[in-house]
Amino acid sequence: MMRILLLCWSLAPLLWQLRTSFLVGDVLVGEQSQPGLSPWTLANYRLVLHGDPSLIQVLLNSTVLGLITTLLTLILALPCAYGLHALRGHLQRSIHAGLVGAALFPTVLLFLSLLQVARSLGLANHLLALSLPYAALSLPFAILLLQAAINDLPPELEDAARLDGLHTLQRLRLIVAPLLTPALASTGLLVFLASWNEYPIALTWLSRSDRLTLPAAMGRIASSSVYTIPYGPYAAATVLGSLPLLLLVLLFQRWIISGLTQGAVKG
Amino acid sequence: MNDQGTMGGKAMPLLLMAPALLLLALIFLWPWLHYGWLSVHASSLLTGLKAVPNGGANWQRLLQDGRFWQDALQTLRFAGLSVLLELGLGLLMALSLHRPSRGRGVLRALMILPWALPGTVMALGWRWILNDPYGPLNGLLQALGGRSYPFLASPGTTWAFTVLADVWKTTPFVAIVLLAGLQSIPRDLEEALRLEGAGSWTLLRRLQWPLLGPYVALAVLFRLAQAFGVFDLIQLLTGGGPAGSTESLALYAYLNAMRFLDFGYSATLMVATFLLVVALSLVWLGWMRWQGARG
Repeated sequence: MMRILLLCWSLAPLLWQLRTSFLVGDVLVGEQSQPGLSPWTLANYRLVLHGDPSLIQVLLNSTVLGLITTLLTLILALPCAYGLHALRGHLQRSIHAGLVGAALFPTVLLFLSLLQVARSLGLANHLLALSLPYAALSLPFAILLLQAAINDLPPELEDAARLDGLHTLQRLRLIVAPLLTPALASTGLLVFLASWNEYPIALTWLSRSDRLTLPAAMGRIASSSVYTIPYGPYAAATVLGSLPLLLLVLLFQRWIISGLTQGAVKG
Repeated sequence: MNDQGTMGGKAMPLLLMAPALLLLALIFLWPWLHYGWLSVHASSLLTGLKAVPNGGANWQRLLQDGRFWQDALQTLRFAGLSVLLELGLGLLMALSLHRPSRGRGVLRALMILPWALPGTVMALGWRWILNDPYGPLNGLLQALGGRSYPFLASPGTTWAFTVLADVWKTTPFVAIVLLAGLQSIPRDLEEALRLEGAGSWTLLRRLQWPLLGPYVALAVLFRLAQAFGVFDLIQLLTGGGPAGSTESLALYAYLNAMRFLDFGYSATLMVATFLLVVALSLVWLGWMRWQGARG
């Protein structure tokens, strides 16, 4: 019973968006649909797919940026986590504490400074340049998560590899990285989600409509007019923008949850 | 793993960490130096957007700025109530996901969906749901014989619904952290209590809640800090209105930078908000420690 109530609570607002996305505008504002015509329509979807910018372009932007950010974050985080694991004493503890603080921090407060960096380096409107701040915002959590996973590996493995004469980078590449595949996958998924959902930095860095990410495009719809948000097309955009995430969550919920748990609790 | 000294002292670890730490310093530390510097400068349309030193004028203005203090209170109220509700609802969610059953994977996936979706997407979704008079909530009111109500035009209901929207989105996060806590409790303990005839409530009160302490502390710490920086939801759902009654500190700082083009004062607001977040976190940690020492 409790489960059904909680499930309704989580899903009802989404299902309402789904319903809205298929309704013609007249019906949404309380009028009867024209006699003999169906109130259901695909017009909202057609509109967002052919709009300026096309939602396809927006989703493509978000996907490419998300993948690049994920790759960049993992490439930076893995050696860092390995180094942090090997480091001992005060330095390790201080860096660890700093990372925890950064992971907790509400990152929206950084946008003004980052915007000025972007302007002075000419990075505004470069979609892929966003992967630099995005990777940085995800790094603290990613490093903590991977470090927790490295701590869980049996120490004998590395001792054996060392006796075999492998140097540090070889051990990282040949022994540690393959064993961390599940943790890397969890981390990657969470980084991708964070990048897909980030709003304030995208809002301030991107102005050209063919460069917008999904949240920035949504924000633009909202601010285009306070009084007449085109709710039908907007709902269609919501549905299309949510589908990739719905798939990710359904397929990988186990990894997403274990990543969140490991990173939050052990980190 | 224990490989002390196997990397040839500290040089190798530091080398491995250098690229990540450099990027982190650029993105996390440099802005605060920059804000600190900017907060003692005038940099607005009046100065042609050039930074001119103005001593403590920004800080003096902050102390006398009624809107800042009002926003600080509103943000604190928003964060406090959201986190409290998230904790209660998150506990219910965690308990219901903890019970083994078929299809638990799909159930978990569907329940965490609101957390995984972009906040921006559903912020506008809520605006439609609360629309006067065409949204479903008003549809329901009218079907029950009432009149439609402008939920987003009166401060009380607007505030309540921003909290509700935040709770809807972030409860799954709290639930996942608490679920990890529940699963760390040895099954034998639960079964021993059950054999003594304890119901779910007794189980929760005597065994699960006390052992969840560290997980609660963590979830609340993270959520408090995040909720205190609330931006996406407020900007898109209410724009801070009506009459500034839902404006958060982050939104005020954003407006100062992007609408009033007053970068000096915006930076001052950022620093002030940062200090408040740190203070709030320390208060929470201190309280948890005191509770821990007492219990």
